[in-house]
Amino acid sequence: MSKPEDTKLIARNAPALRKLAEKNPVPRLVAGNSVSTRLESGIGNCFPGLECDLRNLERRFFPFLEMDMPDTEIALVAVDIDGVVAARKAGEIDQATLDGYMTLHTAGKWVVETMTGMFGPLGRLTLTIADLDAPSSGAGRQPPDPWTAVRLLTEGTDVRLVLQRKPASSGQKVTLTAKRARYLGDDGALAAMFLPGELTQSLCSPWTHDFRDCACYYWASNHPDIALPPLPEKPTDDPKWNLAVPWERRDRTIGDKPPAPATLRDPTPVELRYFEINHRWQSLNFVLERREQIGPYQQQEFAGKPLASKGALVAQLRYAAGVELAVMQEYLSAMYSLKSEEDLSGATRDDVRAAHAEIKRIAIGEMRHLRAVNNVLASLLGRPAYKPALGVATKIPGARPGQLVDVEPRPLTKDALKNFIMIEAPSKSVDGVYANILATLNQGYPDSDIQAIRTVMAEGEDHYRTFLFIQEWLKPYLDEPRKYLRAGSLEAPPAGNQEHQELQAQYLKLLDLLYTGYNLGMPEGAASLNEARNAMIEDQDSIATAAERVAAKGYLVVFDAPADPRFKPVPPP
Amino acid sequence: MQRVATVAGEPTAPMFHRFRSAAGEHLLIVPYSRVFDLSPELARSIDGGGSDRDALVARLAQPSPGEVALDDAVAPAPQSISLNVSSSCNLSCSYCYAARGGFEGAQAEPMRWPTARAAIDALLARADPAAPITVGFLGGEPFANRALMHACVHYAQQDAVRRGLDVRFSVTTNGTLLRGDDIALLRAHRFAVTISIDGGAAVQDRQRPRAGKTAAGSFDRLKRAVSPLLADPGMAQIAARATVTRNDFDLTRRFADILALGFAEAGFAPLRMDKGGGDALREDDWSAYFDALKEVARGEIARAQCGAAIRLSNLAIALRQIARGASSPYPCGAGGGYFSVAADGRWYACHRTIGDRDFALGDNGGLDGERRHAFLTGRHVHAQAACRTCWARYLCSGACHQEATTRAESSCGFIRGWLEFCFTAYCELSARPHATSHEGLEATVP
Repeated sequence: MSKPEDTKLIARNAPALRKLAEKNPVPRLVAGNSVSTRLESGIGNCFPGLECDLRNLERRFFPFLEMDMPDTEIALVAVDIDGVVAARKAGEIDQATLDGYMTLHTAGKWVVETMTGMFGPLGRLTLTIADLDAPSSGAGRQPPDPWTAVRLLTEGTDVRLVLQRKPASSGQKVTLTAKRARYLGDDGALAAMFLPGELTQSLCSPWTHDFRDCACYYWASNHPDIALPPLPEKPTDDPKWNLAVPWERRDRTIGDKPPAPATLRDPTPVELRYFEINHRWQSLNFVLERREQIGPYQQQEFAGKPLASKGALVAQLRYAAGVELAVMQEYLSAMYSLKSEEDLSGATRDDVRAAHAEIKRIAIGEMRHLRAVNNVLASLLGRPAYKPALGVATKIPGARPGQLVDVEPRPLTKDALKNFIMIEAPSKSVDGVYANILATLNQGYPDSDIQAIRTVMAEGEDHYRTFLFIQEWLKPYLDEPRKYLRAGSLEAPPAGNQEHQELQAQYLKLLDLLYTGYNLGMPEGAASLNEARNAMIEDQDSIATAAERVAAKGYLVVFDAPADPRFKPVPPP
Repeated sequence: MQRVATVAGEPTAPMFHRFRSAAGEHLLIVPYSRVFDLSPELARSIDGGGSDRDALVARLAQPSPGEVALDDAVAPAPQSISLNVSSSCNLSCSYCYAARGGFEGAQAEPMRWPTARAAIDALLARADPAAPITVGFLGGEPFANRALMHACVHYAQQDAVRRGLDVRFSVTTNGTLLRGDDIALLRAHRFAVTISIDGGAAVQDRQRPRAGKTAAGSFDRLKRAVSPLLADPGMAQIAARATVTRNDFDLTRRFADILALGFAEAGFAPLRMDKGGGDALREDDWSAYFDALKEVARGEIARAQCGAAIRLSNLAIALRQIARGASSPYPCGAGGGYFSVAADGRWYACHRTIGDRDFALGDNGGLDGERRHAFLTGRHVHAQAACRTCWARYLCSGACHQEATTRAESSCGFIRGWLEFCFTAYCELSARPHATSHEGLEATVP
């Protein structure tokens, strides 16, 4: 019954025809949120991470109930009665609980009178919501308000609510007990109970007076502060068009010269003033792929083709994981070939430092992709059939379709940079590996897996643009490598090199931790994954410190293929 | 249209009904009465309770654009009234719900012109001009007060034209008093004329005798009076309606006898409420009645398969309703778009309830909003304990409010059986190769 609406339901009368004539007659519920509503898709850039109102999570702290929490009460908004009935059918709740939910569903305004549960550090308490004015510090302290109280409830512990129908004179009460709801699923995605847009529903809107100031010190925001300016009609190579400008600038003219960049130190206010935004918010441009768009936007064609079988899909995913590891290693080799800050000065130091930081960010991104691909594999195969994919690809996709090239650790030369840009370019190379995976998943696999792969692809686009910027920053030096690359051979260390051996030991330890963490899944594997993260980037006793020591000797940072069969290199399928 | 309340349905109520016909496997989605054909594979999966079934059904049960929520109790503008113009009748049928127009003393006098005019004024003033309005005539025998009826038609027609309203008329009559001027009136206006006739001479004379000291039948007089109208109905639409008592279930014979008079269609209504004659259907009568009705219907289906019109109103109306997807939490417009005005000017939810305080919702001066809202909320099918979990809840909708007290397992079983019969007939009749569109489907349903 995967797609009955397409093939097996034939309308017989007018209302049936009306239903099937709808654009999406049997709408699919997307598990979690689509890629465009995920927090990591937020568009705020000066205060990233504030694109949602986290208080909205608590609206669903109690199974099947949606609650509002103004200052002094916890008020019932809605009951997911379909969910309640399904839970009763599945034997997850008893008849008395069903009756309780039904009473709440029927009519009237209901508020929480008392709430009993485990309130984190405050321990087990019974709180009368209307009376929450006890001191919030010192002995016997209580949460200062209803939302804080709910926020303190420990996930997975029993919560008992006594709800009272308003007005209190009705005398009607319902008592329900359930575990505090989990806000995230096993794969780290928002739980399916949250509807797309629900976490952002209380954010400011562009036409509000103080929209401009919505930021971390005031209110969560969901707007970019800076964006790349709209491109002029005539194509241009001038890098000035790649400098971010204030998105809410007062001067909205578009000419041959780009607007003044956001970094301009000019006492004249460049942004729209409060009263102006009420009238001119419509003139704010849409931002796609970081750039303001004032003309029609053409989406790139999606070229993926479904793979023949689930076996082929699994093989392609294992290879994709290997490609992530392989390119991550190439990026780290290149990153550690850059001169350290102490050996640089002035603008060169700033440019190289920026390149270093951005490559590191990309390498961390590849590790996130590695985890996402493994999550999809675990979802497809189930545990214990799933085995973590941590083998490095023997070959990675090249520039031309079907071409495969060797993994090549090398310093960040002009050619290497060009190659990296090509690797991350949309619809090419690595992106092409995922296109076929996505096309296959689109044929009825779980939505959370589809969204995971779409996120990986979307971030590939970000990596591509970042390498373009790095090329621009390093442009003045690319023809003179000694200006920005470390001195030394910048070749793989000789056999027996001690620093290199230490690096390999750290690398193996990391793989081992990842294997354990992936294998266990969440939340059991959380400790191993945290340790793995630390093993990569800590200031002491980490891959970062070991690699730095190799580079300091003038050698290239390279990673040997481990002998452990769990990490056996993966050939292309 | 004003929403006065939301009456939540029963969450565990069936959302679909499975049935099969000679054309294959079918699925009725209960809300909005959507009918689908199923592949044998999907039918098996649904019957076996496949994992996606409930989710699929729930999605198909969501309203499409333009479809109203079935939880809503709504109070539309009144568009139709019936005027109980007469309080007497020249026949004396033992089963008459109106006690020959007197309603057990509740309507002792016939309606007067000022009362009728005030009622028409109130209708015209409140109606939604985008939809047609209907003025109906009942009683008693309406033509017993023909002067008032003629006056009302002329007045309503003229005033509606002045106000830009599309007015139509209806009358339910025993037909025996029709004169030339009456027939001219019916022909000249858009009248839906329902003639009460129970069958051929034997049945008609037994069940519908003339009033008076000497027992006499009404068949001959009826035949004589209606034949000119049947021969030339003009703008009027004529249908025969026969009451079925427990004394005679030979519907095939009665159907033939009625059509022999020249009626284009006839329908049957079983007697549910006994008025002392002991002739209402009882618990064990319903299956015999159902069999008799099916026998008539099968003959009409066979005719339809040869391209002829269906003459059994019960079947023809059901097929049209299925094609358009009739789906409502109310069985009729009573208290919503329809009211019946008693001779004293009081407005009741329905013409069968004249004099019943529970159904009194206002008068010519205006409607009692509170009483009307309470009526509409209380009569919503979701508020009927026996109906809210039935798969036929948006088709039967609890049936006649006034007869609700007679509802029994056997009579409900008859309604479900009849609906399933009609759904099956619908799928078999509309299973023609050209039936690919909404229009195509309707075209096959006479």
